[in-house]
Amino acid sequence: MMRITVNVNGNSYARDIEGHETLLRFLREDLGLTGTKEGCGAGECGACTVFMNGRTVNSCMVLAAEADGCTIETIEGEARDGKLSAIQEAFDRNHAVQCGYCTGGMVMSVRELLHRNPKPTIDEIKEGIEGNFCRCTGYQQIIEAVLDASGQLVPANKGELKYA
Amino acid sequence: MLQKFEYAAPTGRAEFLSLLAERGADSKLLAGGTDLLVNIRGGVMKPSLVVDVKKVAGFSALSWSASDGLLISPGTTINDLLRDRGVAERFPLLTECAHDLASYQVRNRATVIGNVVNASPCSDMAPALLCLGARAVISSKRGQREVPFVDFFKGVKKTVLQPDEVLERIIVPASSAGARGSYRKLKRINGHDLGIVGVALMKKDGLMRLGISSSAPTPILIDGLKEGASEDSVVAAARKAISPISDLRCSKEYREFMVETYVKRLLKEVA
Repeated sequence: MMRITVNVNGNSYARDIEGHETLLRFLREDLGLTGTKEGCGAGECGACTVFMNGRTVNSCMVLAAEADGCTIETIEGEARDGKLSAIQEAFDRNHAVQCGYCTGGMVMSVRELLHRNPKPTIDEIKEGIEGNFCRCTGYQQIIEAVLDASGQLVPANKGELKYA
Repeated sequence: MLQKFEYAAPTGRAEFLSLLAERGADSKLLAGGTDLLVNIRGGVMKPSLVVDVKKVAGFSALSWSASDGLLISPGTTINDLLRDRGVAERFPLLTECAHDLASYQVRNRATVIGNVVNASPCSDMAPALLCLGARAVISSKRGQREVPFVDFFKGVKKTVLQPDEVLERIIVPASSAGARGSYRKLKRINGHDLGIVGVALMKKDGLMRLGISSSAPTPILIDGLKEGASEDSVVAAARKAISPISDLRCSKEYREFMVETYVKRLLKEVA
């Protein structure tokens, strides 16, 4: 056992953990933040994507011990004071959520993408979310939501995005 | 849930090397964890101790100088490399290979050194490092040695590294700065995937090199080509050097065909 101190969504937590515990398990089991999901457990699907010190990571492939002293942001911190973020609202408006399993991680990757590239092209959006699998939407609505969140969705084109 | 292991994060270099000397045989080094933790989860690796290299003093530096070249450390992530403007200007081939590796959030964690010490035949960084004449600085409590990457890989997932050793630094020589080059990676999908074949071509000062992945037990270098050599002779050199296998991703014949195709395209594209 070892003790770590982690700031998650603005709250500081000190907890005893095992060396082999993943950050994903720590968030879900120890802190009860179950918005972060386990999909593949191998860095393919992105359902477990969270921010660690301002960068997105797959939390299934991070040890909780590595997060000692770090700042973590999860989907639970996305809405503030009971209000959805602009990205969440755009997902809602564009029906970018179906089963919802990928959504937490997807929103994290979209936030990271829009932070470094406020007006991404469709190809840049695809690249930005290439590490996040969605098995429901076929991505169309998610891409539209990102275009919407970045002020680029032309109503006439909705539903008719050209896939390269 | 991962099988049990202890975690250590030494901060001093001497302390780190002593720990490796003592426990190297039953421990694994952790940098980005994007391969290690997957392997542990799958039961492929069963270390009793995982040693985090990222907190060792000086193990995260990425630096350039005209005398020493580009120095890459164990903590340098793929995205650290991609964000560095100097790297993109001096070593565009490195940037191109790095960009083709996995997905954004994996690149935030995966390290350049991790990608080569795994010695996967499909390493994306190896073709660039081989072409650019990079060297591995290998350290242990016993001392330090330098191994050019052309001698570093010993087989599928095998390198010259001993259990008590760490690849402490990659040196990309200053003499390779300004080399023109490009990388082509065949994948099953447009998004992130392991390479089916990867071909890097580099040209500098009248010389030409090819670095090829996923087409032999190790990433390979084809050196000694002259810029302006005929397409046929370059293709023949590549065909002679590779020894691909058939696996779940594609057949041996398809790999041979695509290596040849990429070599021809790159000869035209890299001016």
